[in-house]
Amino acid sequence: MTRSRIAVALLVLGCLLARPSVQAQSLDDLNLEVHGYATQGFIYTTQNNWNTMNTSDGSAAWTEAVLNISARPQPRLRVGVQGRYLLLGYLTNAITLDWAQADYKLNERFGFRAGKVKTPIGLLNETQDIDPAQLWVLLPQSIYALANRNSTLAHYGGVLYGTLPLGEAFGELQYRGYGGQRVLSSDDAVFQTVRDKGITLPNGATGPMYGGTLRWQTPLRGLMVGASEDSEHTSGAAMLGALSGTLKATHFYEPYFYGIYEVKKLMVGGEYTRQALQKTTSFVGGPTIFIPKDQRAWYMMASYKLLQRLTGGIYYSDSLDRQLPVGPARYQKDWALSARYDLNTFLYLKTEQHWIDGTELGYSTSDNAVLLPDTRMTAFKIGVSF
Amino acid sequence: MKTIGETLMSFRFSLLSLAMAGALFGLKAPAQVLVIANPSVIAVDVSKSDLRDVFTGASSSFKGAAQVTPVLLKQGAVNEDFLDLYVGKSDSAFRATWRSLLFSGQGVLPKTLGSDAAVVEYVSHTPGAIGYIAKNSPHEGVKTLIVR
Repeated sequence: MTRSRIAVALLVLGCLLARPSVQAQSLDDLNLEVHGYATQGFIYTTQNNWNTMNTSDGSAAWTEAVLNISARPQPRLRVGVQGRYLLLGYLTNAITLDWAQADYKLNERFGFRAGKVKTPIGLLNETQDIDPAQLWVLLPQSIYALANRNSTLAHYGGVLYGTLPLGEAFGELQYRGYGGQRVLSSDDAVFQTVRDKGITLPNGATGPMYGGTLRWQTPLRGLMVGASEDSEHTSGAAMLGALSGTLKATHFYEPYFYGIYEVKKLMVGGEYTRQALQKTTSFVGGPTIFIPKDQRAWYMMASYKLLQRLTGGIYYSDSLDRQLPVGPARYQKDWALSARYDLNTFLYLKTEQHWIDGTELGYSTSDNAVLLPDTRMTAFKIGVSF
Repeated sequence: MKTIGETLMSFRFSLLSLAMAGALFGLKAPAQVLVIANPSVIAVDVSKSDLRDVFTGASSSFKGAAQVTPVLLKQGAVNEDFLDLYVGKSDSAFRATWRSLLFSGQGVLPKTLGSDAAVVEYVSHTPGAIGYIAKNSPHEGVKTLIVR
């Protein structure tokens, strides 16, 4: 809550900095805009229940609504705030602050934003929650698992960014550097695995984080390759029944390597990451529980615009946690076939079929008495944006 | 009963017809789009790649020049021609790009206006503004940019 206030204070500060010119401007000159979108998903799975929804019977417990208010009081200054309502099974049913920031772009080579800001890691992290901009109902879950989304989306702090031209023959280099504090609320979906072990985190978890991203827009038009490195160190108070203690994650570094090629109606992309850490939960007068993780995840995807309003796509997503015992819980291999139809500028429909082997991601033991090794998933989504 | 020679000839004729039809349908009329800018914009011409960068939010200035602000037409043939010829995206892909920037906090959607006259009116009164209209539309008070 305190950090939300800091973010709002930063926004107000941004507005105050712009005040001398604002006083002479009309509301229209502030370029104040209100936008938003809402989506409703429906998931059916043949076997296991997915992400705490009763999907084996078909579930529509996946609703999102986003409201965005942005203004550009000066050509170089933008301020904005975005809130979100998300219902996802019983993982979450709440309104949260997506981001609230002031952004000052001095020139193409240098700009910065501060407040609660999106964390620029990987190919899709900053946009993974923006459904209207995506073809897919679900992004490749090996890296962009829906339940883990909030844990990487945004942080309190800042981002430095810019684009450096390398000359006609070498394209250009985009850079992002960031730092601040990761704040995860007690009910964050990313804690479902520890909740499944009976552990709760009454105050959530927080910790310092920093990292950077380099993206090379190559001289070949439409081809971008990039790499990111994210470093985090979070901890929080933990409860196991009447026992109190702490949950600490080791200071970890997570590299991402990715590339995307977009030409005319075709898009081909891929990404690889590795996350190795250990969560340790220790309780006074009680047990110490270790949850080690060494996940290697990657995906390849392709899409093609079949008709003016119809786009189709396919991806293969693969994840393997080498710290888990041999068996289906150790991996997940997911083939997905997707289609999106834009009814008009505002309204769209999506459908997706998944063939999933393994149970590493997206399943909770609390709503699956027995996890079967494979699941077929059919997903539909309708969305509206303005 | 056709001979083998007649069948081959007929097949070649079919192929030729198909190729001609494809060429006819594939032909694009010359661009009927005029790129306009506020007189404060120093540039007299602009490269396709600079224009694409500005209209996709990848850049907010032409190389080495002051900041420019893109303005969009809401819909119609001129809008589609502009996006196809200079941005290389369909209308839905173009708007998806801007939604990514908007909802991730990396940009503000460009002003979108409903007619050529409204675009000319806005561009003429807004320093740094750049837009596009039909080639034959009146455009007093703005300068036209040659696209290289």
